[in-house]
Amino acid sequence: MANTDTVQQELLARIHDSEQPHEVLRAPELRALADGLKTLPPEQRADAGRALNQLKKSLQVAIEQRQAELLDRDVTPIDVTAPFDVNSDRPSLLPTENGTVHPISREIQVMSDILQRMGFMVFESREIDDQYHMFESLNFPAGHPARDDFDTFMTVQTDKDGEPLIAPAHTSTMQNRIMRELKPQLEAGQPIAAASIDRVFRNEDLDPRHEHTFYQHEGIYVDKNIHAGMLVATLKTFLESYYQKSLDVRVNPFYFPFTEPSFEFSMSCPFCEGGGCAVCSQSGWIEILGCGMIHPNVLKMAGIDPEVYTGFAWGGGVDRLVMMKHGIEDVRYFQSAKLDFLRQF
Amino acid sequence: MKVSLNTIKQYVDFDLPPVDELVSRINQQLGGVEEIIDLGAKYHDAVIVRIVTCAPLEGTDHLNVTKIDDGGVTKDVERDEDGRVQVVCGAPNVRVGMLAVWLPPGATVPSTAEDDEPFVLSAKPLRGVVSNGMLASPRELALGDDHDGILEVSPEEVTSGSVAIVPGANFAQTFGLDDTIIDIENKMFTHRPDCFGQLGVAREIAGILGQSFTTPSRYVDDPQFENGDGLELEVVNDIPDKVQRFMAVTVKDVTVKPSPLWLRCELVRLGGKPINNIVDVTNYVMLQTAQPVHAYDYDKVGTSRLGVRLAKKGETVALLNGKVEALNDTDIVITDGEKPIGLGGVMGGRETEVSNQTKNIILECAHFDMYTIRRTSMHHGLFTDAVTRFTKGQSPLQNDRVLLELMKSVMTVAGGEPSSKVIDEQSLQTFSERTVHAPLSVSDNFINQRLGLRLTDKEIATLLSNVEITHDDLNYIAPYWRTDIEIAEDIVEEVGRLYGFDKLPQDLPRRTVIPAIVKPERALKDKLRAILSRAGANEVLTYSFVHRNLLEKAGQDPRHAFQLSNALSPDLHYYRMTVLPSLLDKVHMNVRAGYEHFALFEIGKTHSFDEDGDNFVDEDGVPLEGQLLSLALANGDFYQAKAITHFMASSLGIEFTYEPLNEHVLFEPKRSALVRVDGEPIGVVGEFRVSARRAFKLPDVSAGFEFNFDTLLAMVSDTQSSYTPLSKFPSAERDVTLQVDRGLSYAETEKAITDHVAKLDVKVTLMPLGIYQPEQGSTKNMTFRLQFTSAKKTLSGDEVTAIMNDFASDMNTKLKATII
Repeated sequence: MANTDTVQQELLARIHDSEQPHEVLRAPELRALADGLKTLPPEQRADAGRALNQLKKSLQVAIEQRQAELLDRDVTPIDVTAPFDVNSDRPSLLPTENGTVHPISREIQVMSDILQRMGFMVFESREIDDQYHMFESLNFPAGHPARDDFDTFMTVQTDKDGEPLIAPAHTSTMQNRIMRELKPQLEAGQPIAAASIDRVFRNEDLDPRHEHTFYQHEGIYVDKNIHAGMLVATLKTFLESYYQKSLDVRVNPFYFPFTEPSFEFSMSCPFCEGGGCAVCSQSGWIEILGCGMIHPNVLKMAGIDPEVYTGFAWGGGVDRLVMMKHGIEDVRYFQSAKLDFLRQF
Repeated sequence: MKVSLNTIKQYVDFDLPPVDELVSRINQQLGGVEEIIDLGAKYHDAVIVRIVTCAPLEGTDHLNVTKIDDGGVTKDVERDEDGRVQVVCGAPNVRVGMLAVWLPPGATVPSTAEDDEPFVLSAKPLRGVVSNGMLASPRELALGDDHDGILEVSPEEVTSGSVAIVPGANFAQTFGLDDTIIDIENKMFTHRPDCFGQLGVAREIAGILGQSFTTPSRYVDDPQFENGDGLELEVVNDIPDKVQRFMAVTVKDVTVKPSPLWLRCELVRLGGKPINNIVDVTNYVMLQTAQPVHAYDYDKVGTSRLGVRLAKKGETVALLNGKVEALNDTDIVITDGEKPIGLGGVMGGRETEVSNQTKNIILECAHFDMYTIRRTSMHHGLFTDAVTRFTKGQSPLQNDRVLLELMKSVMTVAGGEPSSKVIDEQSLQTFSERTVHAPLSVSDNFINQRLGLRLTDKEIATLLSNVEITHDDLNYIAPYWRTDIEIAEDIVEEVGRLYGFDKLPQDLPRRTVIPAIVKPERALKDKLRAILSRAGANEVLTYSFVHRNLLEKAGQDPRHAFQLSNALSPDLHYYRMTVLPSLLDKVHMNVRAGYEHFALFEIGKTHSFDEDGDNFVDEDGVPLEGQLLSLALANGDFYQAKAITHFMASSLGIEFTYEPLNEHVLFEPKRSALVRVDGEPIGVVGEFRVSARRAFKLPDVSAGFEFNFDTLLAMVSDTQSSYTPLSKFPSAERDVTLQVDRGLSYAETEKAITDHVAKLDVKVTLMPLGIYQPEQGSTKNMTFRLQFTSAKKTLSGDEVTAIMNDFASDMNTKLKATII
């Protein structure tokens, strides 16, 4: 009986040159191998059977490849420099009424525009970063327990210090860079007013309320004589402009390593005027973001003297704003690319 | 962090406001309240009763019929002529004269209060005899696991307040279970180790209510230990950098038994679980002070020694939870001088556990490095109350006072006496013996400026002294338990919080009218979204992480993709290398959902590194990120994708040129074009290879594009415009068909035409009308409409004809074209 390997080589070669590669599966060599099985002593049969299956599988793969090759070969070439095909009409665009912008992009646009009008420069964030920017530069030393709160994705690949790279779990990963970039402006007497709105990642299981990939907005403001009341006033102004109505706001003390003091920021529910509804869980209040006065260590690490300058920072989710606005029930729809979902916006 | 208001009341000397108001103040000034538990409701109906008669129930071997005296307090219950209530009881310890806890009909059994279907008692016959409710065991009262008999209340029990233990007394009131528990988010206290004890929270509550707080002197004064003798004890600490302080003492002749009722009730209120008096006391002290402590059975340790060191690889330890942990060389272990007997700061060991037979114990009160504890906890998946507290960085300065409190409490509930000197192995890294960090010099101005306030020095001093932060002429001095007051801003936070952040003036910052710069990439992305949606395409957002299969389907090599090490699902193992495969992945499901002809687009970031593992890093040393604009078109061909591309380019005011594509893993070179702007390659538009079409289950006719966004950004500028001034004179038009060689490309033809007309002194615009190519034959016909416009005059028919004749002869020369 012929050796399986030899048969395999022979048949693969045949497939490679065949115009009808599928036919190779009917090769007599294969039949011979199959017949040979029956003559084997029972204890060898299992191994030989497996080898034959393996062989058939590899042939299948090769056949598919060859078929694709043949199909590729049979493709009719076209003049790609022409605006339309020969003997054809000029192609049209798709109907404009079907076109949509993703609701999250749209919301980011709305928020960016408000911030821009308030004097903030709007940055994007990164999708891969090092631990210095995600943690150290934000006053989370190595081993800091607050690092645990972020469920950060890490990469196999490492940075120059041999530390895993990370998928940023907050847009604050841009804070140090932005402050460094705008520091000359600060020293020239202009405040640093900047926001970053972009995609962030947390290693979480998916469910209707949790996504591992979502969007955050964050802002910083640094100047002389900035105080905590200004933080509250700025956020209130931003949210009132966003919801186009006046709102009550309140802050609760909180803990973040990168701000001191830190707050959770709540607004009166814009959907029920504080009377209680499903969006605010009947409480009349919605906890909308985290914020605080930028920690002096964070300023120092960006080369800004905390004795001279003070500032505030905030961060919050974008997805949730969009969900509340439209009553979207499942956060996973955002990245599902379902046209049923997208074409509603 | 569960806070018992009854416990708080024991620490403060003023009346607490109503619960609603208190919770709202805690929310605003201390931390988010997660839950308010009305513990009193759970025990509302439980009454202390005396058993007056007790007789076996005939026909059973263990049931007794009792008559109980409830002082007549319970309404709507059947009584005999003496006012006694009949209850059937199966407990072996039930007897005449004892005091017990009765749950009358209508009461919910406390241990089932949180169940989906709480057990509500009634008056129902048991073997033909009516039992009105039940006499309750400790387990039924949710006071521990003991279910061997009913709870016996001794008249000598310590009660809370002045309630006497008599029949008819409300059980909850008698033992302080008429309590409200406020659960405050732990996250808020990440930097406040002191707030993991009732004492610390009581101090904060006083502070935010504007009341002054005085810590009981036992936690303030220098402890006076009485050294005992009788039992040897030695402590060897090999890792003073990780264990700054380790205190231990032995106590001999203790009696291990269930805790007195008051202690059990205290523990239950604070969320603990009674076990035995020694263990309960250690937990109680921790819940009060936030300092975890531990008790060892002295005789089980057996060596009169405790060692503190890092574990060695290969060592194991059996823990109190019944598990055996294989240790790491970063774990702190407590040893008997040789082998590990506990995971320091995390969990005690099984071998040295205090049991009912224990006579002599070692008490430990120590400080462990928070980062080391965290690593051990994470590594072994052990999240104990001790871990919660040690990972916040407890103050080592509290160890001596807490140990003294622990010794006294042990002797109160278990007897015994100190039997060794108190060992205090320390190498403190604190500023002094009274404070963890150096005193802070902070000006009122510094504080006021950061809060926008105008508080006087006296107001500031009062706010701070309410929580025992003192001030001498120069400095603020934090008490020893405040590990968090390290820099001037910490004082600012403290003042702001105690004053009330909601009362800060809400001024907007002021800036000059210099406009904020709009980042061009953001502006261009917004523009592209508008353009492509106008072209009928749908923007999608897809994950930045993909399955290995997706990379392979698109012919990409996963070895060049960044890989996640801790992704929960294989769907997220790799950073995507390009965006288009993610879009192709979403085509099939939309086709199945009934959409036929559609286009998906996305602007996304991409990541990869080259063969040498070089990450192409930027100036910060992090990998460079690419950005791609990609589109997938279902049931549309190359020319439609190109039409969208062309529409996009002209909307941006730039011009794309298209040339045949050589080789590509995803696009079919025979039906795809390489696209350039100003000679710079920017991407590909085309149809997909059959292999890709099959892998992604795409419709037979499918196309798309992938462009480098950053190149596009560099090429687009707002000042570019393709506008040309309008002429005052009418234009003339001529349609012309050129018969050219079949192999001549449209681009070559167009170039010849535009080169020709560029030399004319009239403006000529060119519009392709059709390309006819018969199946056979060596030629094809290209028809154009030429529009002639002069800036100076109205062109006559003759002039146009002359131009056309010239044109025909030039085309003949250059393209061998015949005008037909």
